[in-house]
Amino acid sequence: MLWRIFLTFLKIGAFTIGGGYAMIPLIKREVCSRHGWITEDDFLDGLAAAQSCPGPIAVNISIYTGYHVRGKLGMLMALLGTILPSTVSIIIIAMLFRQYTDQALVKRAFTALNPAVVALIAVPLIQMAQKSGLVWKNAWFPLSVAILVGVLNVSPVYLILLTIVYAVYEAHK
Amino acid sequence: MILLQMLITFFKIGLFSFGGGYAILAMIRQEVVISNAWITEAEFMQVVAISQMTPGPIAINAATFIGYQKAGIIGSLICTFGVILPSLIIMLIITVSYLKLKKLPWFQQIFRRLRLLSVGLIAAALIMIMGNAVQDWYSIGIFTVCFVATWRFKLNPFTMLISAAVFGMLFGSG
Repeated sequence: MLWRIFLTFLKIGAFTIGGGYAMIPLIKREVCSRHGWITEDDFLDGLAAAQSCPGPIAVNISIYTGYHVRGKLGMLMALLGTILPSTVSIIIIAMLFRQYTDQALVKRAFTALNPAVVALIAVPLIQMAQKSGLVWKNAWFPLSVAILVGVLNVSPVYLILLTIVYAVYEAHK
Repeated sequence: MILLQMLITFFKIGLFSFGGGYAILAMIRQEVVISNAWITEAEFMQVVAISQMTPGPIAINAATFIGYQKAGIIGSLICTFGVILPSLIIMLIITVSYLKLKKLPWFQQIFRRLRLLSVGLIAAALIMIMGNAVQDWYSIGIFTVCFVATWRFKLNPFTMLISAAVFGMLFGSG
C-alpha cells in the first residue's frame, strides 16, 4: 500500500509541468476516481486547506491525501513521490546548465524566454484577480502590496504578518 | 555555515508563501536576489523559465536549482527540505483540525485577506521582472504574442516556453 502511494504520487510529480495548479486535476483523478482512496468531498476540503496554507499547493495536497490514506508514513511516501521527479530533473539540468550557460544559443533562447516568462506570470495574475473577490473598493490593498514589494523591495513577510493580525482584529470587531 | 543559512532562508520562503506558485516568486526573489544576493536578476529569470519547463511545483524547482548553484547536490537537497518543512508541519496540524478551524470567523477572515494579498504579490513579481525582460520592440512583441496565446487561446505554459526558446535561438541576438 505504501509503495502504491509512492508510485502514484511519483507519477503525478513526473507528469505535471507548469506548477501546482496544473497538478490538481491529475491528483484528483488518481486518488478519487482511480484508487478511491479518498472521497471527493474530503479531497475538496483538503484542497481548500492546501490553498490556504503556506507552501506549494501540490506538496500540501499530497501531504493531506497521504495522511488521509495511511497516516504519517503515507504522508511521507506521498510527499517523497511528489518532489522526487522535480528534484532529480532540476539537479540534472543544473549540472548541464553550468556548462552551457555561456553559449550563444542558450543566450539567444533567453532573449525570447524572458519576455515569455513575464507573460506567464501576467496571465495567472488576471485569473487570480477575478477569483479573489477583487472590486474597486478593495483594489487599493493588492495595489499597495504590489508597489511595496515590487518597487520598494519590502519583504512580503511583514505584509503577511500585518494582514493576519488585521484580519483577526476585523473578525473580532 | 552557508548551508544552515540556506536551510533557514528556504524554511522562511516555505513558511511565508501563500497563494501558490506565482505568489511565491516575489518571496523567493526578495530572499535570494535582494537580501542574500545568492543569484543575480538574470539568473532569477532563468530559474523561473526552467522551473516552468520541468515537472513539479515552482517552489521546489527553484529551491533545488538555487541550492545546486550555491552548494552542489547537498545544497539542493537542503534548500528543498527547507522549503517543504513548513508545509509538512502546518499541513499535519491542519489536516487533523481543519474541519473545526474552517468554521471560525477569524480563520475565514485571514484567508479572505490573504487571497487578496497574493494577487498583490503576483503583481509585485510581475513589476520586478518586467523592467529587465521587456525593453525593446522585439521583447514587447514576444510578450504580447505569448500573453494572448496563453490567456485567450489557453496554450499551456510548457508549449509556450519551448516555442519561445526555439524562436529565440532562431531570431534572437545574443
